[in-house]
Amino acid sequence: MNKIKILHMYADMLDLYGDSGNMEIIAYRCKMRGIECEIDKYSIDSEQPDFSSYDLIYIGGGADLEQQHISEDLVKCRNGIEAAYKNGTFLFLICGGYQLMGKHYRDADGVDIPGLGLFDYYTIAEPNRKKRCIGNVVIRTEFTGKTVDIVGFENHGGQTNGVKTPLGEVLYGHGNCTKSSHEGYFEKNVIATYMHGPCLSKNPEVSDYIIGYCLNRKIDTAIELTPLDDKLENDCRQVMIERLLKK
Amino acid sequence: MNSILIIIGKIIVAVLRLFRRNAGNLPGIVLWHLTKGKCCKMFKVDCPIIAVTGTNGKTSVTNCIAQLFEQNGKKIIINKEGNNLDTGICSLLLRHCNIGGKVNADYLIFETDESHVPVVYSQLKLETLVVLNFFRDQLDRNGEMETLIQKINSFCKTFEGNLILNGDDPNTARLGRANPDNKNVKYFHAKPYAFATETIFEASEGRFCPFCGEALEYDYYQYSHIGKFCCKKCGFGNYEPYITAENIDLEKSVFTADGHEYSPKLNSIYNIYNMTAVAAAAKLYNIPENVTDNVISNYTINNGRMEAFMLGDRKATLNLAKNPVGANMTLRVMNEMQTEKELLFVLNDNIADGLDVSWIWDINFSVFDRVTRVVTSGTRAYDIAVRIKCSGYPAEKIIVCPDLDAAVAELAKTDGRKFVIANYTAVQPTRSALKRYSEKHGGKNE
Repeated sequence: MNKIKILHMYADMLDLYGDSGNMEIIAYRCKMRGIECEIDKYSIDSEQPDFSSYDLIYIGGGADLEQQHISEDLVKCRNGIEAAYKNGTFLFLICGGYQLMGKHYRDADGVDIPGLGLFDYYTIAEPNRKKRCIGNVVIRTEFTGKTVDIVGFENHGGQTNGVKTPLGEVLYGHGNCTKSSHEGYFEKNVIATYMHGPCLSKNPEVSDYIIGYCLNRKIDTAIELTPLDDKLENDCRQVMIERLLKK
Repeated sequence: MNSILIIIGKIIVAVLRLFRRNAGNLPGIVLWHLTKGKCCKMFKVDCPIIAVTGTNGKTSVTNCIAQLFEQNGKKIIINKEGNNLDTGICSLLLRHCNIGGKVNADYLIFETDESHVPVVYSQLKLETLVVLNFFRDQLDRNGEMETLIQKINSFCKTFEGNLILNGDDPNTARLGRANPDNKNVKYFHAKPYAFATETIFEASEGRFCPFCGEALEYDYYQYSHIGKFCCKKCGFGNYEPYITAENIDLEKSVFTADGHEYSPKLNSIYNIYNMTAVAAAAKLYNIPENVTDNVISNYTINNGRMEAFMLGDRKATLNLAKNPVGANMTLRVMNEMQTEKELLFVLNDNIADGLDVSWIWDINFSVFDRVTRVVTSGTRAYDIAVRIKCSGYPAEKIIVCPDLDAAVAELAKTDGRKFVIANYTAVQPTRSALKRYSEKHGGKNE
């Protein structure tokens, strides 16, 4: 039986806007295809796991207070996460998780929280706490090999700069910075985004890209994923795209 | 200057009424602009003000506290329509003041939006603040919950009046430490009920001590993060309760507080907490026992909170769910019922709901027991359908009907017990649709 192993980090602290739903969706789509999906959890002061033994590491978003709590702990995991990433483990990062993998995060009070520095981007929180990027967001992506418009919900004060390889082009909403042209960060084994919703709930292609990558990363002949009935998900997204993009 | 503003306000109220428009908020909005945001400052209030805030239960507790005084023969002013922002309270006071801005009443009792507590009560002197709970709710409107708690916390730092706090919610109990000099902090508390659990059952927040960062330890959870908690490191949570609800029996719908037995009409653990807050206010203001008993035992609501409808000969219960806690509660009630049932879930994403609907992913649908069919409706009918599907519920048993009348007709098509969950702006349209169905197809509504 095919199997993927997932490490869900700080599930008890970083779970804003239904972010844990992403794990429920991955597990659901695996189950429907008979793929075994093992999800381990890691939180502050857990024993350091063997990060490289996982196919996917997932970190969600949280409130500022929780983010401060975890950043110190995350730094301790730096070597393990970096080795896993270089070894081909997929990193799926939402909001706070996205920010903390960059060089640094400067909070609204001007205090720098160091990131893991895996990627070149950095984030500066808008000093005015009332000025946040909030609302529905639609981005056009090409990373699956096809043009796919994905829909989510963003709510962030942080302005992320220095992204060379974004996840997609903003059709509606803000993206990485207030009114910016691009959203998220992408590498073949990294999806980092501000999209909550949860992100995977109406974007089945993104879920399947991640599942497909995890299944095939260690084997030579790629396994094709069995198609699922995604009518509800596709209708759900279509309703939002028509509402948001109609002028 | 004050008089001119008040005359302007009163004219707006009069004109709106002349055209039979609701004057609940608009006059306040106009004055808010004219006063540069200080629209409550022009009133002269000599009587005590009692405010009720928190995520869930504000309306119920405000109404009950108002009845305590009313049935005790006092003249009160209350924002009954739930206009609970500064502009709503301003509009209300405009209708009850004289030209000089003097408000004539024995007590003012205001349901107050969490984010507006510091705004309103920096302008009007507050005597008592009741804080019920803080849950994730409409996060995108209020900013993150921590910011919200911080706002009320800074207000409490200089507040010297009575602070009645839910001692079983770490998010509200922490406010008791905001002003160490305030001797008037009072906690209400409840002993475990039959469905209390040792481990947490539903998504929650506030798992860490806000003072030292240590994980909080719980003797029991009543629902969500509400329960007997304590921080082993710094002692947060060790307090002497002002009033304690015990012998809670939801089947018989009774509980005792301070040695008195009460029989509330609404038998949910939520309501027990709300009524304990009411009992705390009654104790503080020395309300006669028979009045308190009468208020707590008779309070009921017909506004989509566990409201009963008949669809032909099929019984339907409608419950408002503004957040996961509310929805999980309805699922609990459904599961406690040992028969097959069907669910209609109506989900809107209007501005008042918060544009973000991801909170539905914090609802624990995996507990579904003998639910034979689900119908979804509202502006985000598909989102809730996808969410229920991904919890493992069979997709072929989910029917999406964005149109509400179509959804109610679909729900009523089959026999059996029906439940309806609707979020904030969906509740009134859902009630109307249920009533329309009853009128057309028979069925008496209570």
